[in-house]
Amino acid sequence: MGSVGIIVNPWAGKDVRRLHAPVGHTPDTAKIGIVRRVILGALDVGAERVHVARDVGRIAERAAKAIDRAVLVDGPGTGSALDTRRAAAQMAELGCAAVAVLGGDGTSRDVTMGWRDAPIIPISTGTNNVFPGFVDGSSAGTAAGLVASGAVALADAGRRAKLLTADIALPGGDRIQDIALVDMALIAEQGTGARAVVRSDLIRLVVAALAVPASTGLSAIAGRTSPVAADEEGGVVVRLGGEGRRVRVPIVPGSFDVLPIASIDRLADGGSITVEGPGVLAYDGERDRVLPAGSTATITVARTGPFVIDVARTLRAAADHHLFDVAPGDSTAATRTEAHHGH
Amino acid sequence: MELTPAQQLAMHKSMVRIRLFEEAAGKLMETGQMPGFLHLYVGQEAVAVGVCEALRVDDYITSTHRGHGHLVAKGGDLAKMMAELMGKATGYCGGKGGSMHINDLSLGMLGANGIVGAGVPIAVGAGFRNKYLGSDQVAVAFFGDASTNIGAFHEAANMACALHLPVVFVCEHNMYGEYTPTEKAMAIADVVDRAAGYGMPGVIVDGMDVLAVHEATLEAVARARRGEGPALVEAKTYRFYNHHGIQTLGVKYRPDAEVIAWKERDPIFTFEDRLVEGGVASRDQIEEQWAQVRADIAAAIEFAENSPYPEPSALLAGVYTAGGAK
Repeated sequence: MGSVGIIVNPWAGKDVRRLHAPVGHTPDTAKIGIVRRVILGALDVGAERVHVARDVGRIAERAAKAIDRAVLVDGPGTGSALDTRRAAAQMAELGCAAVAVLGGDGTSRDVTMGWRDAPIIPISTGTNNVFPGFVDGSSAGTAAGLVASGAVALADAGRRAKLLTADIALPGGDRIQDIALVDMALIAEQGTGARAVVRSDLIRLVVAALAVPASTGLSAIAGRTSPVAADEEGGVVVRLGGEGRRVRVPIVPGSFDVLPIASIDRLADGGSITVEGPGVLAYDGERDRVLPAGSTATITVARTGPFVIDVARTLRAAADHHLFDVAPGDSTAATRTEAHHGH
Repeated sequence: MELTPAQQLAMHKSMVRIRLFEEAAGKLMETGQMPGFLHLYVGQEAVAVGVCEALRVDDYITSTHRGHGHLVAKGGDLAKMMAELMGKATGYCGGKGGSMHINDLSLGMLGANGIVGAGVPIAVGAGFRNKYLGSDQVAVAFFGDASTNIGAFHEAANMACALHLPVVFVCEHNMYGEYTPTEKAMAIADVVDRAAGYGMPGVIVDGMDVLAVHEATLEAVARARRGEGPALVEAKTYRFYNHHGIQTLGVKYRPDAEVIAWKERDPIFTFEDRLVEGGVASRDQIEEQWAQVRADIAAAIEFAENSPYPEPSALLAGVYTAGGAK
């Protein structure tokens, strides 16, 4: 039997987008409930234990309260993305067979930065998300537990995700490598500010590994012009500008901007494109890296991302094999796994 | 957000003014050259500057016991501030208010406040005034995390939302109410979780990143100015010194590793790195800014030291409104 990990971004669903768009707030009580359901779901199907990364929001400790086999992992730091990356590395050292990741696209990216091969179940707790989906914690926990216990083989539970890699060459000769899971975009701004991309007139180019029509944000620009699904290889490059084709895109939820499309080019698996500064590179919808004048970023798409466990597929496999059945006469089977409130 | 290099350098200089003013004042207090207590703002500079740079001169702010940074960021006169802290007649309050009552009505700074949470209803009053007069001015309330446990905060937030007032609530969440960690005093970790209960949007922003604070505040202020009501901005930040003064009281209440981790995210130094990396400023330009502010602080201290104490005849001046109480 193996163990399950849980990493929570405590500030997901609370960012500046709430000032720009009619989107809700995700309180800690909601996240505590999801984490507790993941823990209970995983233990119910035989996970040996669940490692929960401490966070500055104290979500982990409140969710794991009074569950013997839920173990808190050391941390957190100061509430930056570094906490998530470190927690992912700790989960790797602990040998977690599946890691539930609560947050947005950026949270899954940070987990990937800490553990490149992480077997993850991304759970959305915010807005504008493309990579994680909305899934109940009970089901996510069950899927994680089925993989951890070996009842469902990892290979049958999902597949490896695509990854965007930016190899950046700075004017002074320094080189940096960044990653993203959904999209990378060049924005005509000077700084990262409050990170969210809300001004469509400053978007110059989007490279998307996931171009989903039914989404909001940068991925939707590519999604509404040249969709690329998670199971399709490669990606798409959309340049904005010019006087030609124009499309409507919700850059922030509820706001439909008209954007000029200069060109659309498919990017094959392993293919790359080079962009030049100055500007700011946004990763998975958030301004992240300032690209000074004279610098370049070569962006490559390939199926080298984290392994994503598909909750529906995993539970379907378990149901098909009657893995939820209790053997007749099994007196050790509890009639109910405890589900007390964790807060 | 399109900030010119000059604007970014101005934000940097404003943060340096706060840093050096506070460190100078702290040393004067602890060497007995300045009376009373000082609650230093060092570490939190990005919040005051990020917010105040998003305001007009005629917008109002209310402050806290840790209020010097707010006044500096709103454009306060360093010499008059230093004189006030030293109790001199040339100070902002004629030397009779000191650190925790410092204000400048001409800048819309309605006052620091020695009572935790007490500035929040004053900002709501200013917001009411703005709406009542049909003005497009906005009022900003600065307050700490612990003050949201005070009744005054609840009443003020409720009233602002019920009356749809142009108020922006800026919570400086520095993780400690005096020496008590937030988790010992609150069952929630994020003050922003309270915003929905009043019916206003609330956002968390990195309080060590002046541009992030600025951008979030710009939008919150724009909403309020458009008549879309209050919003709460929670800036996650950290005070580098203790609750008051520079030296510790020998009370161990924060883990060393925590203090070190936050200092690594110093809002001024990290901003300087970004200015240089982004080609906005050179290291020499940044050093020149520090040198200019050091000279300004030295001049402010000299002005304060050479100023007279208030005369006994000034005892009742400024206590009552003209014509007396009725």
